[in-house]
Amino acid sequence: MFDIVLTAISYSSAIALAAAGITLIYMTTGTFSFAHASLTAWGFYVVFSFSKLFFREIGNPYIFFPLSAIISGLLSVAIYLTVNRWLLRRRADMITLMMSTLGIDLIYFAFLNVFADYLTQEYKINARLVVLTTDDITIAQMGGFAVRAIPLVSITLVIFTLVSLHYLLNRTKFGIAIRVTIESPSLAEIIGINPERVYLASWFIGGALAGLAGAILSMVVTGTPAIGNLLIVPEFAGSIVGGLYSLFGSFAGGYLIGLSEYIIITLLATFISRNLIVYQPLIPLLVMAVFLLVYPNGIGAFNWRKVLRR
Amino acid sequence: MGSSIDLLANPLLLNILVNFGIFLIVTLSLNLEAGIAGIPQFGRVLAVLVGAIGAGSIAGRLIASYYGLPCGDEYVTGSTNIRIVEELNQRLSSNPVDSILMLILSLMIAALMGGIIGYVASYPAIRLREAYLGITLLTFGEAVQTIAKYYDPISGGTEGIMVPDVFRFVGTGQARFLFSTAVILLIAVIVYFYLQLLIRSPFGRSLKAMRDMELAARVYGKDIVKLRTQSLIIGGSIAAIGGALWTLYTMSLKAYTYNRVTWSFWPWAFMMLGGTGNNMGILIGTFIFSTLRSLIFAYKTALETIIPINPNWLEYILIGLIIVLIAMFRPQGMLPERSELPMRRERIEEIRLHTTKNLREEN
Repeated sequence: MFDIVLTAISYSSAIALAAAGITLIYMTTGTFSFAHASLTAWGFYVVFSFSKLFFREIGNPYIFFPLSAIISGLLSVAIYLTVNRWLLRRRADMITLMMSTLGIDLIYFAFLNVFADYLTQEYKINARLVVLTTDDITIAQMGGFAVRAIPLVSITLVIFTLVSLHYLLNRTKFGIAIRVTIESPSLAEIIGINPERVYLASWFIGGALAGLAGAILSMVVTGTPAIGNLLIVPEFAGSIVGGLYSLFGSFAGGYLIGLSEYIIITLLATFISRNLIVYQPLIPLLVMAVFLLVYPNGIGAFNWRKVLRR
Repeated sequence: MGSSIDLLANPLLLNILVNFGIFLIVTLSLNLEAGIAGIPQFGRVLAVLVGAIGAGSIAGRLIASYYGLPCGDEYVTGSTNIRIVEELNQRLSSNPVDSILMLILSLMIAALMGGIIGYVASYPAIRLREAYLGITLLTFGEAVQTIAKYYDPISGGTEGIMVPDVFRFVGTGQARFLFSTAVILLIAVIVYFYLQLLIRSPFGRSLKAMRDMELAARVYGKDIVKLRTQSLIIGGSIAAIGGALWTLYTMSLKAYTYNRVTWSFWPWAFMMLGGTGNNMGILIGTFIFSTLRSLIFAYKTALETIIPINPNWLEYILIGLIIVLIAMFRPQGMLPERSELPMRRERIEEIRLHTTKNLREEN
C-alpha cells in the first residue's frame, strides 16, 4: 500500500503540473490545448534519450529534467509563434483555436514517432517501449522496501512551481501584466502592456510544465510514443475539475484526479476483484463527471474564506 | 461493358468508395451537431462505437438465437464465436430474406442505441458550455471505449468478435464487396438528402438560430433544451448507423479500433476542410480526405522506399498540417456555409408583394 501511495503522489504531481499548464494557456489565450498530449510525451522522451542514449556516461535522469522542460517549452512557443498568434490576431473562435492545437498535436505526435524510429534504428534498442524506473535513485530503505527519489522530487517540483508562479503573478511587474491581460486584453493594451508578450510567456510556461510532467512520468510509468494520448485525459480532467480559471485550482484538480485514480483503483482491486484494474483510465473520467455535475464551476471557484468564516 | 465491371471491382476503388461512404455518414452527423447546432461534439466516436456494438454484438446475438444457436457468453468468446458466426454465415448466405432483415434489424438497433446515447449526452450538453462540454463529450467517448475494450460480454473485449456477414447471399469475393459498397453508398446518399431537407426545414433553421444567437432564438420562443436534445439524438442515430455499416462491412468488431483519432478527430478535420455547416462542402471534404487516407494506406509499401519515414506518420503529418492550414487560412472551409432560403425565391417574392399590397390597402 505504501509504495502505491508513493507512486500515486509522483503520478498526480505530474498530472497537476500539466493541468496547470493547460489552465494557464486557457486563461491567457482562450486556447484549450490538445497539444499538451505530445508535449508531455516529448518531455518523457527527452529524459529517456538524453539519459539513456546521448549522454549515457552521466546516467542520472534527473539532470535532464530542466532540459525536457525547456524543449517542451520551446515546442510550445513554436505553436504560439506559427499558429496561435495568427489566430488570436484574427479573433478566431474557441473551436478553431482548439482544432488548430489538435492539428499540431498530430504533427508533434508523428515527429515523436519518427524520433523513436530513428532511436530504434540508430541505437538498436526498443524505443517504442521505454522503462526508466530502474534508473531511479534509492534514497531510503523501509522494511525491505526501497523508497525511490521520484516522490520527493515530484513534490519538490510542484512546490517550487507553485511558489515561483505565486511570486511571478503577485510580486513582479510582468506577473501583474499577465493578470491584467487575463482580466481584459484591451484594457491592458491601453495602459501599455503588450499582450503578445504575455501570450508568449504563458505558452512557454505552459509547455514547460507539460515537459516537466513528462519527465516526472518517465520515472513512474512505462512509456510509448502514444503515452500522451493516454495522459491527456487525466490532464484535461484535472484542468476542468480545477475550474479552468484558476491556476491553483488546477493544481488541486490534478492532485484530486491523479490520487483518486490510483487510490480508488487499488481499493477496488483489493476489496472487490483484481480484474477491475484494467478500468483504471475510467476513474479520472468518473471523478470529473461527478464533479462537473455537482460543482460545475470547479475547485478554483470554491470560496474558502466563506467556509472558514463559518 | 466487361472492362467497366473490372474497373468497378478494383479493390482500391471499392476501398476508397467504402471509406468515403462511411465517413460521409459520420461527418454529416457531426455537421448536424457541431456545424448546425453548434455543440462541440468531440466525442463522435461514442455513437459510432455504440452503433457498431448494436449491429455486431446485439443484432448478431438476436439472429443467433433466432436460428437456435447459442447467444449467451459463448457468442463473445473467441473460439466459440468463430464457430457460431461461420454457422450463421452459411445459413445467411442461402437465405437472402433473412440477410436483408438482419441488415435492417442491425441498422435499426444501431440507430436506436445511437439515439439513446445522444439523449444521454444531452444531459451535460444543456448544462455545460464550449470547452467544458467538448471535453466532457470527449471523455464520455473514452470511458465507453475503455469499458467495451475490457468488459468481454459487450464485444469480446480486447480480442473482439466476428460479425455475421449479411452481404454474403450475393456470393463471396468480388460480388460481395460490390454489393456491400453499393449498400453503403446508397445509405450515405439517403442520409445526405435527409439531412439536407432537415437542415432546410424549420427545425434546421431553429438550430442555426440557436447556434448563432441563443438569446434571440429564446426570444422567438424556441425551446433550447429540446432543440439541443433532438439534434443530439438525430446526430447520434446517424453516426451509429455509420458505425454499424462499418462493422458489418469489415465482418469484425474490435472495440480498440474505435479510437478518438479515427472516429472523432478525422470527421472534425473532414468537416473543417469541406466547410462547417455546408453538406455539399462536407461531401467534397470527406471525399478528398478519405481518398488521400486510402491511397496512403494502399501505397504504404511503395511509399516506404521513397520517403525516409514510416508512411503511418506521413498520414498524421499531412492531416495535422491540413487542419492547421485550414484553421489559419480558410476557417470557413472549401465551400462556406450559405444562407439557405426556406422556399423558392419566386415564392418569397410573391409573398412579399402580396403583404406589401395588403398593407398599402389598409393604409
